[in-house]
Amino acid sequence: MNKKLGFGMSIALLTLLLSACGGNDKNAASSTTSAPESENPATESASAPTSEDSKPVTISFMHFKSDVTDGVAKIIEQFELENPNIKVDVQPVKYDDYDTLLKTKLASGDIVDVFTLNAGSTTKLYHNGGYLEDLTDQEFMKNFDPGVLAEQATDGRNYIMPLNAGPIAVFYNKKIFADLGLDIPTTYDALMESAQKIKDAGKTPFALGWKDGWTLGMWLSRDFPSNTVLVEKQVDFFDKLEKGEAKFADNPAAKTSISHALDLFRYGNKDQLGVDYNGAVDLFAREEAAMMYVGTWPLADIQKKNPELFDSGMGYFPYPFSNDPILNKLEFNPDASLAVNSKSENKAAAFKFLAFMSSKAGGDAWVENAKTLSYVKGASSDIAPAITELQPYFNDGRLYNSQVFITTTIDWNTQFTQYVQKVLFNKSSADDIIMDLDAWVAKNHK
Amino acid sequence: MKSLGSMIRREMWYILFLVPGVLLFAFTVITPFLQGVRYSFTNWDGISRKLTYIGWDNYVNAFQDPVVLTVLGNTFKYAIILTIVVNVISVLLALLLDSYLPLRNLFRTIFFLPGIISVVLAGFIWSYNYSQGVPKLLSYFGLDVTSPLGNPDQALIGLIIVAVWQGVGTPMIIYLAGLQNIPAELMESARIDGAGPVRIFRSVTLPLLAPSVTINMLLVLTGALKVFDLVFVTTNGGPAFATEVIATFIYKNAFSSYKAGYGMALSMIFFVILVIVTIVQVSFFRKREVEV
Repeated sequence: MNKKLGFGMSIALLTLLLSACGGNDKNAASSTTSAPESENPATESASAPTSEDSKPVTISFMHFKSDVTDGVAKIIEQFELENPNIKVDVQPVKYDDYDTLLKTKLASGDIVDVFTLNAGSTTKLYHNGGYLEDLTDQEFMKNFDPGVLAEQATDGRNYIMPLNAGPIAVFYNKKIFADLGLDIPTTYDALMESAQKIKDAGKTPFALGWKDGWTLGMWLSRDFPSNTVLVEKQVDFFDKLEKGEAKFADNPAAKTSISHALDLFRYGNKDQLGVDYNGAVDLFAREEAAMMYVGTWPLADIQKKNPELFDSGMGYFPYPFSNDPILNKLEFNPDASLAVNSKSENKAAAFKFLAFMSSKAGGDAWVENAKTLSYVKGASSDIAPAITELQPYFNDGRLYNSQVFITTTIDWNTQFTQYVQKVLFNKSSADDIIMDLDAWVAKNHK
Repeated sequence: MKSLGSMIRREMWYILFLVPGVLLFAFTVITPFLQGVRYSFTNWDGISRKLTYIGWDNYVNAFQDPVVLTVLGNTFKYAIILTIVVNVISVLLALLLDSYLPLRNLFRTIFFLPGIISVVLAGFIWSYNYSQGVPKLLSYFGLDVTSPLGNPDQALIGLIIVAVWQGVGTPMIIYLAGLQNIPAELMESARIDGAGPVRIFRSVTLPLLAPSVTINMLLVLTGALKVFDLVFVTTNGGPAFATEVIATFIYKNAFSSYKAGYGMALSMIFFVILVIVTIVQVSFFRKREVEV
């Protein structure tokens, strides 16, 4: 009796287990297919201009702006209204997984017609693989500033179309700054002095979400090249690094950045590597933390969580990576760019898609829905009240892009980020990790 | 010759039923494996359409890479601690739930339930528990704790706790089944001979439970050596490489660092290690088994 009961029990549990597995599979499948289904099919029957290209076409569009999936869906809706014969199958992917998924799809012959890419080394890799259509001579590329096009060119040709951009700087809580009588710091030492005063007042100076690797990586991949090129004047450091001719040990900026990381860690929230990006945004939105180094991405989130703070309580200032106020310009980076697959069967439709995105309507749609700035000439720049504080920098052209300094295709940044964490927890000294980094580069350079 | 023909005719049906399984195995396991072997001798970046053969360079690199050693150390530390803890706890639970306990069926279900949740979900639940739930709860008692996942000294332990919570269910069921296969007469005669509960467990129960021990040790250890999902969603190898295991290391090399060829070579080495561990382990535990 006893035996039978136990046996029956285990079998029942096993069936439960199996059925649970089946259920999961189904859920997964339905959630991946639901994205395209949610597109509005009503537009197709709305009008029927009987021209030559009236045959309905579906193009696939994969993007990594999944934090603003709703916003992108609205932009696509607008495009489909204007182009009733083109339907867009949108596939939003989380930024961390994007590259892997795109790579797998392309390598397995699954053709994605249009996809987002980051300018620089990733674009070069995909171009080397032969996946990118040359866009240089397309009419819609004239909607962009030649300087921007030159910055995003690969070997002198444009394989991607610049789409959106934004500053990466420090959000600050105006009330905390006013209460403590703090000015906006323009040098690194002033920034840390303010941080000390905020800490003395019992508040958290910096909201750090370093549980997610990219948050620390994002800061390091800006602080380090800025210090390398602008402070230490090692202009060709990254070129040499790629060839194995330069060493981190010979670049004083490596130590500077490590000590900066230690400062941020010391003045950060409790449990710096246990809190993720969303947790850090929460800390700032709840006004527990005074500053946060980040792009404009959390704005929509902060607006939802604390509208008062969003409207008038927060400001934005350039991150002072050095002690020379002249050098500390505003970091302004390209975000997503668009590429057309060279194997696409619907190139005409894909070009129309890009043409729309480069029109003023398209540019404004991105600004309004995705809360980022657009590279399209004449597009609006009205994202959030906090951003208007940066207007003097835009007006005087006091902008720079530290990402153009990084010309390497080897991924030293992920490695550096992990090594820095060792120093934060006293597992290694700065000198040790610089040696480790050089050893790693020695193995991985081209 | 004739006998072979007649044998094939006789076994035809069996062979026919085997074909779909063999084909599936060939196309989903053998083929990718052989392709992987080929890629492991190239410096393929994962995107390019050209393959450049570089001989054994990837393998030489792997053996000279100090990080590989750290990663192997982390993996074995995780796997061995997990295997021991999971098996000890699930034997104890099985013993407890095999005795005449009120509501024992309810308890069996409760202990099995965490195993049904997907690992990814469990990872998210525990990340939240560690960073929000537990610190808030303990702050009422005046304790100030932070998430173990954010500290290199505790991160691996933090992961092991999650894995134990999730992993005791299935071994427990196997042990329960094993316990119920032990004839009651043996226990009874031992008791008549004057053996206490500890002595009965050591001299009667455990030797007869040996086949279950073998299979559980094997399943948990190989499963733990291959861990990827739990690490990937909770710590992604951080902080400071403290939880970097072989599977996440291979993934990062092959996909994030654009070194698909090197990643493949690491996979091959890992495959060999797994085979060796399995063979050693099975032959070790098989010797200790006793037939009823």
